[in-house]
Amino acid sequence: MKNRLKVLRAERDWSQADLAQQLRVSRQTINAIETGKYDPSLPLALKTARLFAQPVEAIFFLEE
Amino acid sequence: MLDIKTFILDIKTRVLYFAPKENGMSLMRLGRKLDAAIADAKRAGEVAGSAIEETNKYYGLRLLRAGLLWVSTYAISRGMLELPDLDRSVRILIALAPLPLFVWFLWIWRNGVASMDELRRRIELEALAFAFPICVVGFMTLGLLQLAIPFNPDSWSYRDTWAMMPALYYAGLWRAMRKYE
Repeated sequence: MKNRLKVLRAERDWSQADLAQQLRVSRQTINAIETGKYDPSLPLALKTARLFAQPVEAIFFLEE
Repeated sequence: MLDIKTFILDIKTRVLYFAPKENGMSLMRLGRKLDAAIADAKRAGEVAGSAIEETNKYYGLRLLRAGLLWVSTYAISRGMLELPDLDRSVRILIALAPLPLFVWFLWIWRNGVASMDELRRRIELEALAFAFPICVVGFMTLGLLQLAIPFNPDSWSYRDTWAMMPALYYAGLWRAMRKYE
């Protein structure tokens, strides 16, 4: 699964630590999601979508 | 926190640009209060972030302390059980002495895992998934080998095989942590 987390974060000028704080996860989790090493759980994906005020599928999507 | 900061900035912008000009002084005061609120929110975010790190550090230290106590008690019990002239009931008590500390160690570990975020829980799970099948295969093979070529009891005992489990668990933990770095 791919995601636009890094782009969305950069648009807001947030660091990985900033995003991690808001989602109540570790910075390592954000890094692993951004690099595609880890797919977030559904609750975390929904929390992320709510934070960026975008639908989940606009942030996370399957590779073609 | 940044989402609160954005929200407050948005309100501030609306109030300062669209409110009547005759209330300029009170609006400036409101602006200062909002700035203070932003600073407070930012500090709260920093505190939340450092709290996560501190929790992880605290959990690691508690686990280490409990683990050391448990292993030390085990080593003492093991040494005392080598003494020849001890009563049977005392020997049983000595043999069971490390058990409460092991339960304490497990309790800390379980609570630590419950307070972790989802990636750390996955890392713990992968470490166990790495250690468990290797232990099963290891013990099974050792059992078969003992049937094939009986081991010398002076240099080999199944009493010592438990150490293989935590060693493999920590190897699995290291492997999983590297995978998600």
